[in-house]
Amino acid sequence: MALIELKDVSKLYGFGDATSVALDEVNLTIEQGECVAIMGPSGSGKSTLMNVIGLLDRPTHGNYHLSGKRVSRLGSNQRARLRRDKIGFIFQSFNLLPRLTAVDNVALPLLYKGVSFTKRVKKAWDLLERVGLGDRAYYYPRQLSGGQAQSVAIARALVNDPQLIIADEPTGNLDSNSSRLVMELLSEIHKTGNTVLFVTHNPELTRFATRVVYMQDGAIKYDEQTKLGEVGRYARSVMYAVPETTEEDDLAGVSVLINALHQQAAPKAKKKTARAKKTTTKRKRVAK
Amino acid sequence: MSRDNFRLAYRNLQAAKARSFLTMLGIIIGVMAVVLVVCIGQGVKRQIADQLGRYGKNVFVVQSGSRQASTGLLAGLSGSSSTLLTKNDLKTVQKTPGVTAAVPLSTVSGSVTGDYEVNSPFIVATTSQFPDVVHQSMASGDFFGPTDDDNAVVLGVNIAQKLFNDNAPLGQALLWHGQRFLVAGVFDNFTAPPFSLEANFNDAIFIPYATAQSVSGSTLGIYQILGKSDTAGNVNKVASAANAALVAAHGGSQDVTVALAATVNAASDQTIHLLTMLVAGAAAIALIVGGVGIMDVMLVSVTERMYEIGLRKAIGATNRQIMRQFVAEAFVLSSLGALIGVALSCIGVGLFRAFTSLQAIIVWQSLVIAPLLAIVVGVFFGSMPALKAARKDPIEALRHD
Repeated sequence: MALIELKDVSKLYGFGDATSVALDEVNLTIEQGECVAIMGPSGSGKSTLMNVIGLLDRPTHGNYHLSGKRVSRLGSNQRARLRRDKIGFIFQSFNLLPRLTAVDNVALPLLYKGVSFTKRVKKAWDLLERVGLGDRAYYYPRQLSGGQAQSVAIARALVNDPQLIIADEPTGNLDSNSSRLVMELLSEIHKTGNTVLFVTHNPELTRFATRVVYMQDGAIKYDEQTKLGEVGRYARSVMYAVPETTEEDDLAGVSVLINALHQQAAPKAKKKTARAKKTTTKRKRVAK
Repeated sequence: MSRDNFRLAYRNLQAAKARSFLTMLGIIIGVMAVVLVVCIGQGVKRQIADQLGRYGKNVFVVQSGSRQASTGLLAGLSGSSSTLLTKNDLKTVQKTPGVTAAVPLSTVSGSVTGDYEVNSPFIVATTSQFPDVVHQSMASGDFFGPTDDDNAVVLGVNIAQKLFNDNAPLGQALLWHGQRFLVAGVFDNFTAPPFSLEANFNDAIFIPYATAQSVSGSTLGIYQILGKSDTAGNVNKVASAANAALVAAHGGSQDVTVALAATVNAASDQTIHLLTMLVAGAAAIALIVGGVGIMDVMLVSVTERMYEIGLRKAIGATNRQIMRQFVAEAFVLSSLGALIGVALSCIGVGLFRAFTSLQAIIVWQSLVIAPLLAIVVGVFFGSMPALKAARKDPIEALRHD
């Protein structure tokens, strides 16, 4: 029995002429133990798909079975309980509560499950140790680096022993070292038998996936199985367009980032690439 | 779960100390207003009861005018009645069977000079049985005797202070209308009647009725006759007998009022009770305004913490759990405010007792009911924003930043 089974799932926003289609009759089956990377340009429906699978949102049409149970028409409280018991979320911007310590943040899902205080803290502590932050348990989120904060978020996603981990651009706000750390944690989780779904813009990260799904205009355009440690074939075609510093740039001390910014300022530049896009979205986020 | 809610609520309120305090201020003021009004009202009631209780249960009061005109035991002395009683009326009352003592109360004018001069003092002309009827003891000396023509006066404590400052007044001379009087005694402090300051016996100079009559020349009108029956049990019967005798003496016209001290007490009690309820009701509105303040601040807080709500819902909080968290916050806010309000009102009661003539007393019922009401109001108004928070769509809330 498949863990996730989406059948003709559509998600529409708005009414009448203003209707926009976020998901267009998506069919997707994910087995227990898969690690699926979801890629695609902005607005392709990745996040909506994640929200539907993560039971944050209800599809407008179609059926969704989660471990055999039909969940597409459940009420908000029933979905909340399923989220609590079966799904762990990791967000791009970590989403830790600033007034709680790391260990309290990790223990939060258990609070809603009705677990006693001591058990909560013990479990949370174990998970913090597992992500290598046992010595930071009583730090507040503002005292942690981005990588550490995301590790705390991963510990929180794991604390309720979920079957499914959903990560929406988990490395989007992280530098490459932290990204690697976070992805290694995720793949470890995957190796212990969890199903992991993650959205990414970075083709390099499909190395950690067993399957890569590409989306465009609310539909799945391409779906391939990959071996762990290998970049997806479709992803590779995108990756080799990534700008690299030339010898002249290195000599002049120009980094990839500055190069990309330069390209954005002068749109006539011929190298308009995925990496450049990524940097601009990053910049927008910072500006916000 | 609930303990966690309170812990969290406390922490959230602590994080926004100034705002939390301002919110609580509404509740604090509301609780204080209710508690203080009730405490002062009860205190005044007690004061009046004490004052009247001193007269004894077997005392009745005769005043001219119909019953409606009498608003209080001492109202006659403040000059509200137009016609006065006469010496014949006094005799009629004295002759009524069952009356052991009856004293007239009249006021006379004229400045008095002791060591210092006092212009237009409160001078009461009465007879020797006065202390017996009003149950008042002497601080020093004696009340004037029954001979009634003595040039003796007795002073209240305040006027004694005014006339002689710190010197012992006993045996000192007073000048009134060119005549010398000797101070025969000084009364103990009369419990101050809070609402009729003109009739405060502590400011009164007591002179023999006959002397007052001979000095002022004219027939001296009597404002009030205080009568005393032989036992407390038959005071009612004696009072109505006195009333009947007076009506008969006046040729059948109902122009006097005979009231029992206890009846007057009940009437003023009721007035004060009504007043207290009225003001306490107005104060309760202050409490409701405090509740609206809580609603206001919590709506802001819900909007500010949209992201937090979204996250909590994403990781599995049900609507009810979110609602509980915010209701807990409203509960903590209002109960903390109520507690502070109660504490401040207790201090307030102490200050009133220390610095004013209003002897407020702490009414424990108000200390329980007012904060409970505050908490109910706070939670009621807090549940609206809590509901709003609970119903937020998690995706929308998470997008909110």
